[in-house]
Amino acid sequence: MTYITRREFVCAAATTMGGLALSLELSAQENARPLAATARPPRTPSAFLQIGEDDGITIITPAVEMGQGGHTSLPMIIMEELGGSWKQLAISDAPAAAIYNNPMFGLQATVGSFSVRGWYTELRRIGAAARIMLTQAAAHSWKVSASDCTVDESLIIHAPSGRKCSFGSIARLAANMPVPQDPPLKKVADYTVIGRSQPRTDIPDKVDGTARFGIDMILPDMLYAAVKTCPTFGGKLKSFDDSACKGMPGYQSTVPIEDGVIVVARSYWQARKALERVKVDYDLGKLAGLDSAKVSQELHAGFAEPGIVARNDGDVESGLAHAAKRLEATYEVPYLAHACMEPMNCTARVTNDGCEVWCGTQNPQAAQTGAAKTLGIAPDRVKVHVQYLGGGFGRRGEADYVAQAVSAAKTTGGRPVKLIWSREEDIQHDFYRPAAAIRFRGGLDANGKLVALEGKVVSASAPSFGRPGGPPFFTEAVADANYLIPNFRVTGLNKNLGVRFGFWRSVNHSHNPFMIEGFIDELARAAGSDPYQFRRAMLQHDTEGARRQLGVLDFLAEKANWKHRQPGHGYGISAFAAFGSYIGTVVEASMDGNVVTVHRVIQAIDCGIAVHPDNIIAQMEGGMAFGLTAVLRGKITLQNGAVMQTNFNDYPALALLEMPKVESYIIPSTAAPGGVGEPGTGPIAPALANAIYAASGLRLRSLPLSEHQLSYKAVRI
Amino acid sequence: MVVLNINGSEHSIDVEADTPLLWVLRDELQLTGTKFGCGLGLCGACTVLLDGKPVRSCLVKASDVAGQPIVTIEGLSKDKSHPVQRAWIAESVPQCGYCQSGMILSTVALLNSKPNPTDAEIDMAVTNICRCGTYNRVRKAIHRAAQMGNDDAGSKPTTV
Repeated sequence: MTYITRREFVCAAATTMGGLALSLELSAQENARPLAATARPPRTPSAFLQIGEDDGITIITPAVEMGQGGHTSLPMIIMEELGGSWKQLAISDAPAAAIYNNPMFGLQATVGSFSVRGWYTELRRIGAAARIMLTQAAAHSWKVSASDCTVDESLIIHAPSGRKCSFGSIARLAANMPVPQDPPLKKVADYTVIGRSQPRTDIPDKVDGTARFGIDMILPDMLYAAVKTCPTFGGKLKSFDDSACKGMPGYQSTVPIEDGVIVVARSYWQARKALERVKVDYDLGKLAGLDSAKVSQELHAGFAEPGIVARNDGDVESGLAHAAKRLEATYEVPYLAHACMEPMNCTARVTNDGCEVWCGTQNPQAAQTGAAKTLGIAPDRVKVHVQYLGGGFGRRGEADYVAQAVSAAKTTGGRPVKLIWSREEDIQHDFYRPAAAIRFRGGLDANGKLVALEGKVVSASAPSFGRPGGPPFFTEAVADANYLIPNFRVTGLNKNLGVRFGFWRSVNHSHNPFMIEGFIDELARAAGSDPYQFRRAMLQHDTEGARRQLGVLDFLAEKANWKHRQPGHGYGISAFAAFGSYIGTVVEASMDGNVVTVHRVIQAIDCGIAVHPDNIIAQMEGGMAFGLTAVLRGKITLQNGAVMQTNFNDYPALALLEMPKVESYIIPSTAAPGGVGEPGTGPIAPALANAIYAASGLRLRSLPLSEHQLSYKAVRI
Repeated sequence: MVVLNINGSEHSIDVEADTPLLWVLRDELQLTGTKFGCGLGLCGACTVLLDGKPVRSCLVKASDVAGQPIVTIEGLSKDKSHPVQRAWIAESVPQCGYCQSGMILSTVALLNSKPNPTDAEIDMAVTNICRCGTYNRVRKAIHRAAQMGNDDAGSKPTTV
């Protein structure tokens, strides 16, 4: 992270304080429809963009950096209109404040691939307004017409007179210019920054250890803390005995919290060692008998319950009754943990003045309210300092670890405390991707056309999220499928078994495409059709979704040379809409006994305007790797209400030697930007499962592969 | 009291004898480029070079490596100029970046012993975990760094 040296910001200090030098109402959204009815505050340019007299440009990004490229792609959008020099750019994370609420999503949260698509219009307007003010200030001082001035690389140029001045030299004057309320924006064809991969602003400091993650926070007089919480979901601390810790080197205290204990010591190692000696007695709670078999039983029992209707086209019962051929299949996936490389951690300082926290978080306002609640103070007395995130994937949208650090820090008389989880705590106290199952019934007519499809989606737990009155959130990727099927019914049932659940990269698209795209493949085979052509036929209707999904499908088939597939190899194809983009994958695989070899992965995305192409490719590859880990062996199992996995030995991640050859493509598009961080995770599961079927006749209806006694090999780049 | 030789400097540190090198580096010497990931030597985020060889510093007791030359990510170069660092930037390898100190040091060790590693040798040597899935760029950057090392050979030493 570039730490900004304190320079004189001409545009007044912004954020939560109001009373700004520049005020610009930029609330109109051209291509953003809010999901949640949240009041959108007027955007103040100086909250996002500050220009110093030394010509330094500081962009305050509302998106945190967790590797997804937000610290580069959002600044690119501002810089496109501003005309600033990339060399003079510094990036700063936004503090917790409503002004940074995502225009599309309504929260200040770096989630759901909302950053670029949510901010695309607003940040261009901010950049354009600032450029106009700078230009007008220069024109005013030169007594020339602003329309004769141009901007290039942080310089304002008046060509007729040959005069030039830098942004910084005119910035103070510019701050007093009238703020354009509706600045004209560039045409896409005139872009010089967007669409051209700029060097990622965060990379240089990530090759020499200087990048500062939450866990790297060091404050004067700081203490360290280790935490252990009840192994069962919903369990509570009954009592503890820390007498064995007394006299241990560095030991300070044991702090009880609702579901466990925190040990504070002079160093982290001392805290960990003392924690091992604390005797803890828990009330294991109501879920102490829960195990994975029971979860599976509950999911299957859910198929007999009605659920909420998420889609109901035609008459599925009649369609099935009249079908020439009927198929039924049940698909299922387990719970998954995020396993961010950086274990959860937070540094907190609590004084009479309030509280400060330093952490990697995808949701600074959640961190703020989490800390405030713990202390019983108003949120505005909590200051959140966002650091780099060593992985987020949805896990760091939660604030449980912030509350813990604050619980410890309120006992230390103002001394800051850095609380760090063990990997074991991380794997066993995650907010898990829910286990889920879908029972499908499908009917084909005499010509092999899919005339009826029913999907009963049952989730072991799911957030109540999405549009009120809309389809249940967890039926995404099934209920909103772009296939035209005359009789198509989808229901959703949330069993909510009480296991902590959350958002895992790609969320519902991490598993629902595996299920529906697998069943579509089964139907294609039953119809005697080519799986690519079978999908094609259902996308021949004039909607944007069908057109763009078909575009991805055709693109993939061409790149994979689908017509002339390598004999002896199995090819699997899958494409769908996700997070405002359209994405798909072809996997080429072969089977030798129980060994699956992946020869090639071909991915394509239509994400609208591609802001940072190289980063989009990186996100597609990374998303695929995250999805492949889950496909190969991702499984969190429960026994006696507790998670059985503990660390990377029993919850292993993909290794370098397992990374297959991947080709990733961006399909050119002039549509508004779609998401890129989330979508890449979903397609590998159906594409690989369908390829395995094509290669061997083995149909995978549950994950991971390791449960099917299959081993895996990759042909590398 | 343990005397450690880190990045060419000697440090006398007052810690319990069983304290892992990882926590001495991070908490006592404030060399936070070395990361904690698992505590069991599984993920490689804490990789440092001990006498030029990669070790998982979460498994090494500080007292066991007294006096031996240790290189952390901070000691690789003063200006991000080591060929492996340059290759990493050129290939835009890091995403979240948390595993990359370990990845880079595993690579440095590999290239020290095998200046032109094969893909199979890379597979065996770089066992660090990256949840962001940067592996294919890591592999490309290793080959690029090897090439840079060859180009630099004779002009200046590329090993540490």
